[in-house]
Amino acid sequence: MEASGSFLHAILNLSLLVFVLALEAQALTPSHYLVASDVDRLQAVLSQPFTDLKSAYFSVVGLSKLGVSVADSNDACSFIKANVDSSSIEALFYAAEASQAISSCEIHVSNETRDSLHAAVSEDSTVSQIHQAVSALSSLGLPLASQEVVSALKARISKEDNVVAITLALQTASRLSQQAELGEILEEIEDLAARLDDLGGVYLQFEEGLEATALFVSAAYALSDHVDMEPPLKEDQVIQLVNSIFSKKSWDSLSEAFSVASAAAALSNNRFHKPVVVSAVGPATVSHSHPLLQLHVTDVLCQPLSSANVLVESATSVASKAAILSQTPFTLRDGIFELNFMASKPASGYYQFSVAVTGDSRLVANHVELKVKVSTKVAINNMDLSVVDKDQSIGTKTTRVEYPNKGKASFIADSHQNFAMTFQLVDETTGVELTPHQTFVRLHNQKTGQEVVFVAEPDSKNLYKFELDTAERKTEFDSISGTYALYLMVGDATLENPVLWNVADVVLKFPDEEAPSTVQSKNLYVPKPEIQHLFREPEKRPPTVLSNTFTALVLSPFLLLLILWFKLGANISNFSFSPSSVLFHVGHAAMLGLMYVYWTHLNMFQTLKYLAIIGSLTFLAGNRMLAQKAVKRTHEH
Amino acid sequence: MSSSVISVISRFLEEYNSSTSTKLKVVDAYLLYILLTGALQFLYCLLVGTFPFNSFLSGFISCVGSFILAVCLRIQINPQNKAEFLSTSPERAFADFLFAHTVLHLVAINFVG
Repeated sequence: MEASGSFLHAILNLSLLVFVLALEAQALTPSHYLVASDVDRLQAVLSQPFTDLKSAYFSVVGLSKLGVSVADSNDACSFIKANVDSSSIEALFYAAEASQAISSCEIHVSNETRDSLHAAVSEDSTVSQIHQAVSALSSLGLPLASQEVVSALKARISKEDNVVAITLALQTASRLSQQAELGEILEEIEDLAARLDDLGGVYLQFEEGLEATALFVSAAYALSDHVDMEPPLKEDQVIQLVNSIFSKKSWDSLSEAFSVASAAAALSNNRFHKPVVVSAVGPATVSHSHPLLQLHVTDVLCQPLSSANVLVESATSVASKAAILSQTPFTLRDGIFELNFMASKPASGYYQFSVAVTGDSRLVANHVELKVKVSTKVAINNMDLSVVDKDQSIGTKTTRVEYPNKGKASFIADSHQNFAMTFQLVDETTGVELTPHQTFVRLHNQKTGQEVVFVAEPDSKNLYKFELDTAERKTEFDSISGTYALYLMVGDATLENPVLWNVADVVLKFPDEEAPSTVQSKNLYVPKPEIQHLFREPEKRPPTVLSNTFTALVLSPFLLLLILWFKLGANISNFSFSPSSVLFHVGHAAMLGLMYVYWTHLNMFQTLKYLAIIGSLTFLAGNRMLAQKAVKRTHEH
Repeated sequence: MSSSVISVISRFLEEYNSSTSTKLKVVDAYLLYILLTGALQFLYCLLVGTFPFNSFLSGFISCVGSFILAVCLRIQINPQNKAEFLSTSPERAFADFLFAHTVLHLVAINFVG
């Protein structure tokens, strides 16, 4: 009973482990990080000479975050003391923070100044002012009322609900006493993290930009360390933040450089998350001359993790899926982790390495997949050239040529013969047969400059064969007989020594030689024949006579109408010359005239305009006229 | 057979001449004119082809539209239909006829190109 229970327990554990391992295998690793030259550049930006107190603050405090002290600390200290303006909270903040970063540099403030700093901590100041006042008080070693600060911050956060303000509030809270109630402010980290934009699963940043994101990271970790509670950021999110913050390698302003330095310091030295950057030194290639695989395993500030254990969990060949290594440790030498991979005698090709960095529970992205190339040198063995008769009646004469020599005699092949070549490609050191991606045979005619390239194929025993049938291939050569230089070209990504070897000269005799036409070098860059533009042909029209006939024909019913009306006795004898009827008829005629003018000259808008004017006049007149007519009609009846 | 058709037609024409008022005959003459004009345009199109198509359409639709409006006018001013058109006086019908024609001609001229 117990045995089965413990057996089940073991199975559960194993499946959980496999599941977790499978999940970890999908974890994100940093694709953007600072390398040593970037860190140096950051340091150089922060080491620029000070222009004012603000730039002095950025430089001094920024450099201290990188673990470097400013060039001339006495100079810096006197600069700060000279430029501090006791009436400005901002100036006091810069001076206090900068002086604290410099050892043995102290600023003294009067009681008045201290009181003005205390007064700045209220609900009426902005979060920025509260942050500056609290930081100044804290750096100057003056006491402050933490609970008051907390309540002022809470009130201001609800009014200033933007990313920068809340980040400053977090930063302020990290300077307060641990006894204060920082719980609500701590929750802001999670709310703020929810506002980050996920770009393609690779980047995580605020739409306010790099500086806001970097300052958020340093504030979040400062506060989390202060209250000793892990920040609510998942490992993948931490790596995405790393990608966002360190994707920019040159910084527009001192404040941007300061924020990046601040974030880098926070990410390399906090109690909870430590992102690991694993990268190969140079290209990840090993060969017999360079048997060591070297890795940089650093934190985000490019400092090597000397106390970590770096292990190859598995190394499998990409082609054959065979595992070469398993659970092999790297050795640390001069800040670089090394492994002699050639000692395992891998065949040339690509290998997928799964590397794990352990030794610290804070490490994030400590499982890395790496593709390592093993290259080798190729040697060409048993290069045999022969001219074979097609009917095989005459025995073949095989000549062996050793690389890199050239065959002494030329080989002559005419239409009754085939030219054949066999050779083997092997790894120089191990003697294993190789099949590189490129094995070409090139025939180059010295006189005409023509060249023809063929591919040499290996058979099942990895023996390369090339046969040239003169009669069959004459079209490729344009039937031009002559001496062709034969080259063998061997190349591959995993070969250190690509080969171009002039093996021998071959004289080819083609049947039915045409008059040697000069080889037309394909010149693509001469002017092409001019294309004449064909304008659109106008449509075919019927002959004018026909059109005119039909025009007359179509107008003829009008005559018929007039005749009919005359016959019926229609007349205009009842026409009353009242002004409204005259106006109506004139207006109506004008409208019809407008239609003609519209057809010939105007556009719709102009026509509508005129139509509105004439139409309304006609309408009024017509209305009047018809009303009069109606009255006359009803009186008659 | 043909004699009965001829007699029907002649009877019809007699009735028509006697029972229709002059005003309606005037409108009928106008209708005939429009009809002929439209038919001749269509004949041209059949003979020569539809180029330019928009002009043909414009002319033909104009004829068709005018015919329809004239028919409506005839219906509305016919005293025998007075019961159905109590609110519409002949003058009102004529005014509607003119207004509709204005719109029709505006569109036709726009389309004729």
